[in-house]
Order: sequence, then structure tokens, then C-alpha cells
Amino acid sequence: MTFTVQQFQALLPLVITCATSVLVMLSIAWRRHHAFNTLVCMLGLNAALVSVYFAAQVGPQAVTPLFIVDGYSLFFTGLILAAGLASVTLINTYIDSFKYNREEMYLLMTIATAGGIVMASAHHFASLFIGLELLSVSLFGLVGYSFHRPRALEAAIKYLVLSATASAVLLFGIALIYSQFGSLAFSEIGPQLHEDARPIVLIGLAMLLIGLAFKLSLAPFHLWTPDVYEGAPAPVGAFLATAAKVAVFAVTVRFLLLEAIGALQIPAIFHTLAAIAIASILVGNLLALRQNNIKRILGYSSIAHFGYLLVLLLTGGPVFGVEGFAAYLTIYVVTSLSSFGVVTLMSKCGQDRDADQLHDLRGLFWRRPYLATLMTVSLLSLGGIPLTAGFIGKFYVIVAAMTFQSSWGWAMLAAIVAGSAVGIYFYLRVMVNLYLAKPGMHKFEAQLGWGQHTSGLMVLCASALVVYIGVYPETLMQLVQIAKAAGVQ
Amino acid sequence: MTSSPEAVSQFLSIAAYMGGLCFLLAFMLGIPRLLGGKAWGRAKNDPFESGVVSQGGARLRFPAKFYLVAMFFVIFDAEALYLYAWSVSVRESGWVGFFEAVTFILILLAGLVYLVRIGALDWAPEQLRRRREREQQHN
Repeated sequence: MTFTVQQFQALLPLVITCATSVLVMLSIAWRRHHAFNTLVCMLGLNAALVSVYFAAQVGPQAVTPLFIVDGYSLFFTGLILAAGLASVTLINTYIDSFKYNREEMYLLMTIATAGGIVMASAHHFASLFIGLELLSVSLFGLVGYSFHRPRALEAAIKYLVLSATASAVLLFGIALIYSQFGSLAFSEIGPQLHEDARPIVLIGLAMLLIGLAFKLSLAPFHLWTPDVYEGAPAPVGAFLATAAKVAVFAVTVRFLLLEAIGALQIPAIFHTLAAIAIASILVGNLLALRQNNIKRILGYSSIAHFGYLLVLLLTGGPVFGVEGFAAYLTIYVVTSLSSFGVVTLMSKCGQDRDADQLHDLRGLFWRRPYLATLMTVSLLSLGGIPLTAGFIGKFYVIVAAMTFQSSWGWAMLAAIVAGSAVGIYFYLRVMVNLYLAKPGMHKFEAQLGWGQHTSGLMVLCASALVVYIGVYPETLMQLVQIAKAAGVQ
Repeated sequence: MTSSPEAVSQFLSIAAYMGGLCFLLAFMLGIPRLLGGKAWGRAKNDPFESGVVSQGGARLRFPAKFYLVAMFFVIFDAEALYLYAWSVSVRESGWVGFFEAVTFILILLAGLVYLVRIGALDWAPEQLRRRREREQQHN
């Protein structure tokens, strides 16, 4: 096997991220100095983000049978790196008040980001699984990182046990598919999947999709989501909602839309996925109605949003679908970063919980008006109100579902409309709390100079992007052409 | 999957074997229960160690260090296993393989350095205490 310079250049983002994790580890070993360790981590991730540009120069490259580096993978590599960087930025001020070892959080974060990049460029089941495990195993540590809090261990144990079960199911599914086709490469399995699939292939595909649906917290496999989001520290919640889900969804779409399009033509698979999409939209939106915890609300909201994305995957086809879901995921990442960012700016890791109860946000507008405005913008965007980015995302989904012209398309459309209508209620409920009269006593307060920290600036930029994309989506639409190019081939 | 008579007869003989096995197990467990007597006594439920009366409970408290060291052993041992795959193909994989193996070993070494430096391998309580004092001075 030869390994050319071009292939190395194409793999640069992954190589730099992995090297960063080793460097962060060594720098912790050398000296436990918070600012220095953060600097190493940030520099490494930024270098990786810049190297995405150089990787794009060498064109589509298959690097070993495991990875493919094309426009599609580079777009999502960039998105995952940006989300990882944003989460690291949020951690920086958040964890300052933590009494125990703070620096390992950066180590786990870079490893998880590397896992995400592996998944974004995987076109082989082996690399899919390696990426998935790199991501989830470091997330176990991240979810339970603030272990002095009562909820953290519960969340970590739940995530560990359920995630390991899902990985086992996924692996079994891969084994069943391998038993029939004798290959693990997407490109060799893809053409052989068609409507008259054998029962073993169907069972294998179903188990594969169960494993992936668990990681994406789609409806019947969503039970862990609110508990884990609530127990995890707020910046980790931001990472879970953005980078982790983007990585899993990117590889799912690569398998189902770009490589094995035949799988979606199997009626049983299509009907099941459509039912899962409708269930996710309804369950996510309905269960969020009675929640009093903003992190749980965001968890349920992510269930609903991934239901919308599944609709796009089912109805969009390889060209429009890839473009639409690249745009939707970008919008969702920016919006989630901004909403989780506000919660993070309010909280400190040293306290016994985050500022995640609705009454903690009560009257925020009268104390920290700009922060409350940012929260309002991101909630409006999550609800899909025009002039915010969320509207553009929902527009893509509805266009795809309407042009699909089948009874399932209309059913999914009905679910989207009903879900969005219900969704407005609980987003508004949070928003109302921001503008109520401020209570006499409050436990949580953002620092006065929050806008001068990098984390505050990051949240500001994310919210500005939400509005910018909502008003002028042209830039984003041009950007997603990078990802779309892979669908056209 | 073949369905020739020979294959079917093979499957049938395996099925007969499995059936016989289940019957034998059920018989051995069931018959004593039906026919045998059952003795009760005060000392019947005590653990029996070659006639010696046992002392104390089995729920001892082990230091978590054992667990940690066992974990490191499993991790590094499992990592070293990957090198066997390389060692049987050193010539075929050439210099690329060599540099990949070197990278792999260096990353493992970095992990070991990290473990030593954070004090995960400090065994004696004395060392741990000194390290903790040093860290407090730093803060």
C-alpha cells in the first residue's frame, strides 16, 4: 500500500486533531496549568480547522479503504471542528471554579472531536464503528465530569449502559450484513441492496439503524436524552447536541443517501424510518410541553429536530437531501450553540447545578438584557420563526416533503406542521420567563463582563449568525454546495 | 444453505443430541427433588471450608489501586497485541508500516508518561500524600 502526499494532505484535519489530543495530554503531564493547556487545545483545533481548506485543495481522495475525503466529508469535518472549538471555548470560563482536575476535559473533548471527524469521512463499517466508539467513550467521561453533582453520575451511567447496548446492536447488524455480502465497504454493499433483500439483510439493516437512531435519539430510542442533557455540564450538552449528532447523522446520510440508496427503496425500511420520523417529531414536541428545565427542553427539542432531519433524508433524494440537511445541520449547530451558550454563561461548574431551571432564567432581561436577547433569538430560531435561521432549515424540510408526492410525504408534512405548532408553545413559555418581573433573590448570575470573555464573544457570534442566515441565507446556500457536490456524482 | 438428505440427517442427529442433553439435565435435576429427602439444620446454610468454621465476612474493602493497575494492564496489554499483527508482516508493510508502528508506540509512551506524571502509578500512601501537598503549594 502506498501513501501519497496528497492523501496525507487530505487527512490533515484528522491528523492534526489526533496530534492535538496527544499534545494536550503531554502538556497536562508536563504542567497542570489551566490557561496553557487550553491554549494548546485551542491552537490545535484551530490549526485543524484551517487545514480543512488545504485538504479541500487535493480534491476527492480515497485514503485507505476506510476513509474518503470529499466535499461532503470536509464540510462536516469543518462543522464538527467548529462545534468542538465552540464547546471548548464555553468550557474555558465555565470550568474555572471546578475544584478538581480541570484540564482533562480538553483532552476528552479533542478525542471526541477526532472521533467525529473519523465518522464524517468514513465509508467503511470499520471506520464508522471506530469513530462512533471514540466519540461515545470520551463522551461518557465528559457527561460525568462534574461528578460532585448529584445528577452527573446518574446521567453518565445511563449514557454508558444504553450507549454500549446500542453499540452492541449496531455491531450485530454490521455482522449480519457482512455475513451476506462479505464486505464492510459502503461502496460494495450499496449496489447489492435493493428491494428484494433477504431477511438476514433486512434484520441487519434494521439493527444498524436502531444503533444509529439511538445515537441520534430518535423517537423509540430517545429515553436517555433528557436525563443525559440535564446531568451533563452545559458545555458538554452543547457538544452532545451539535458535534456528536452531526457526526452520526453525516455517516448515516452517507450510507443511506450517497452509497446505498437502494436501502431506502426497501419498503419495510422506508416505512419504519418514516414512522420513526413522525414519532420523533410528535414525541419530542409533546413531551417538552411540561418541562421546567431548559436543558431537558433543549433535549426534547433536539429529538424533534432530528425527526425533521429524518424527513429530509427520506424525501429529499441524494441531491436536494444532501444540500438541505447540510444547511439544516449548520443552522441547528449555530442555534444550539447559542442557546446552550447562554445557559453556560449563567452557570459555574463549581455550583451544585447549572442555571437550567426556568425560574433561574426568570427576569433575565431586566438583569442581563443582551444575554436575554441572545436567548430569545436562539429560541425563536429553534421554533422556526421567519427572519431567524431556523425558518430556512424548516423551509428545506417542508419543500422536500411537499415535492415527494406520496401519502407518507403528506403524513410527515402533517406531523411537521403539528409539531411546529406545539413547539412554539414551549419555546414561548421559556421566553415569557425571560421577561417576567425579576425575583428578589436569584442563585445564578452571569458575570458582568461576560461579553469580553471568548465564550461570551462566541455566543454573540453564534446568535449573530442565526440572524444573518435568517435574513440573508444566500451565503449558507453557497457554502452547502461544497457538500452537495458529493451527492451529484 | 443446503437441504440435501445428508445435511438434513446431520441436522437431525444434532437435534437428537440436543434433545437428549436437555432430557438428561432435566432428569438429573428433577429426580432427586421428587425422590430424595431433604435435611434441614441450623448449620446447613453456613459456608463450608474443609471443616473449618469461616471467620468474618467476605466483603473486604480493597484499595481502588488494584483496580486501577488492573485497568492499565489490560489497556497496555491489549494495545501491545496490535503490534503482533505488525510483527508478522514487517517486510510486507515496509517503511510506511514501520513509521505507523513507531507513531503507535510513541502515542502509547505519551500515555504512560501522562499516567506517571498525574500520579496514577504512585503506590504508597506516602508518595500520594507528598504529591497532594506539592499540588496544594502550587495552587
